[in-house]
Amino acid sequence: MIHFLNVSKIYDHQTALRNITFSVEKGEMAFVTGPSGAGKSTLLKIIYLSEKPDEGSVTIADWELSKLKESSIPFLRRNIGVVFQDFRLLDNRNVFDNIAMALRIRGMTEYAVKENVMEVLKVVNLRHKADSFPKTLSGGEQQRVVIARAIVGEPTVLLADEPTGNLDPDTAAGITRMFKDINAKGTTVLVATHNRELYRNTGRRIIKIDNGTIVGEEKG
Amino acid sequence: MYLTYSSRLAVQSIWREKWINLLSVLTIAAGLFMIMLTFFSVYNIDLATKKLPEKFSMMLYLNDGLSEQDRANIISALKKNSAVERVKFISKDKALEELKGVLKNADYVLEGINENPLPASIEIKLRQESVSIANVKKLATDIKKIKGVDEVEYGEQFLNSIHSIKAGAQTLGLLLISIMSTGVVFVCYSTVKIMFYRRKEEIETFKLLGATRAFIRAPFVIEGGIIGTCGGLVCLLGTLAFYYALFNKLAVTMPVFKIIVFPSEIFVALPVAGLVLGISGAVIALGRIRFS
Repeated sequence: MIHFLNVSKIYDHQTALRNITFSVEKGEMAFVTGPSGAGKSTLLKIIYLSEKPDEGSVTIADWELSKLKESSIPFLRRNIGVVFQDFRLLDNRNVFDNIAMALRIRGMTEYAVKENVMEVLKVVNLRHKADSFPKTLSGGEQQRVVIARAIVGEPTVLLADEPTGNLDPDTAAGITRMFKDINAKGTTVLVATHNRELYRNTGRRIIKIDNGTIVGEEKG
Repeated sequence: MYLTYSSRLAVQSIWREKWINLLSVLTIAAGLFMIMLTFFSVYNIDLATKKLPEKFSMMLYLNDGLSEQDRANIISALKKNSAVERVKFISKDKALEELKGVLKNADYVLEGINENPLPASIEIKLRQESVSIANVKKLATDIKKIKGVDEVEYGEQFLNSIHSIKAGAQTLGLLLISIMSTGVVFVCYSTVKIMFYRRKEEIETFKLLGATRAFIRAPFVIEGGIIGTCGGLVCLLGTLAFYYALFNKLAVTMPVFKIIVFPSEIFVALPVAGLVLGISGAVIALGRIRFS
């Protein structure tokens, strides 16, 4: 599903990723881990086409990114759900509208939007917060809204960048369970985190990255 | 579906930034009002210059001692010319009679003149569409070549003046309308650009969620269109006030204003012009949207 081949990314003479090669198979759930500044976020950004690699090739669901026309980028992004590190929730819109946005850009009818959003709010257990605004929610609730927005369009790949950054251990465990459930339905999940608790005893593959290079792989 | 949602976003955005949008609407209205005034002036100048050639005629002075046959030949040749509408022969006697009529009590100037000094002449009335400088000059040259024609007079200075005024008004009008239109487009451009920068983060999120260029652009284009149209409608109100003042107030006290014509198309054209200029400004402001 996700294939990196000799991928490098350099920012202003600073190497963020160096000669990275790895694959995540369809339906797999894997973790990318490493210290802050190791290159985890850059790796995810390349997958959701926010950044372009300087070298190497990246293939997502048979789409070779370097050969992708710019006008096709939105359509690939609709197949990738992203849980952003900084949430990217719109403060002037309520929970419902924040999630609905992912469906409205697809041109879905308002009736279908409402049905899908209420369904996904049930999954993340936030139905009672549909009319609330992001700033009135706790960190954990905001994170669940972001997850709901990422999965509402039923993407084939779900990416999560430090999804438990500022959450307490119980909430973090709940989020991890949520990812497992999403993965169990067939979605490929790739989580970037430096939080060991998140992948410990999961039995999932862990890709270790440091200083822009893959330094090892192991089972969680 | 896209359009409904985009329209809703556009209306929300206009309401959220109502003061800056109101300012833009008023600026656009002022710009469109200037455009309307310029168009109105050029239209009336054009109309006035079109009416003047109705009074335009050419005078042909014939040689003395011309035979009846030669005169008939000249009149026949003139009538065959497609630019000529009407031909009127004025004999020497008739010319003198007319002169006396003009002089009235001052006819003593003719005392002592035994012989009629005035030549026989032909007055030509041209078709309105033929009264252009080039046509009249060519016709005058052609007529001068006809045997028996001594002189041709057609008020060259008068004709040149009319055409200069018309051409000058049209050029100046076009220039002013172009400048004003660019100004209106620039106001719409700036307004949409400000909105775009204020919603930059939101747009970035839209992009990352898979929004297409059309989806991102649509609310801004609609916003530009609404602002432009509102500017056009406000200008329309101003124009109606101007129309009322011109015809119901000024024309009553100063009859000279009665000859002014107000083309009713302006009332429809203003909101349409606002819409087109508003959309143009928005499209230019958005430019090319990049995804990576």
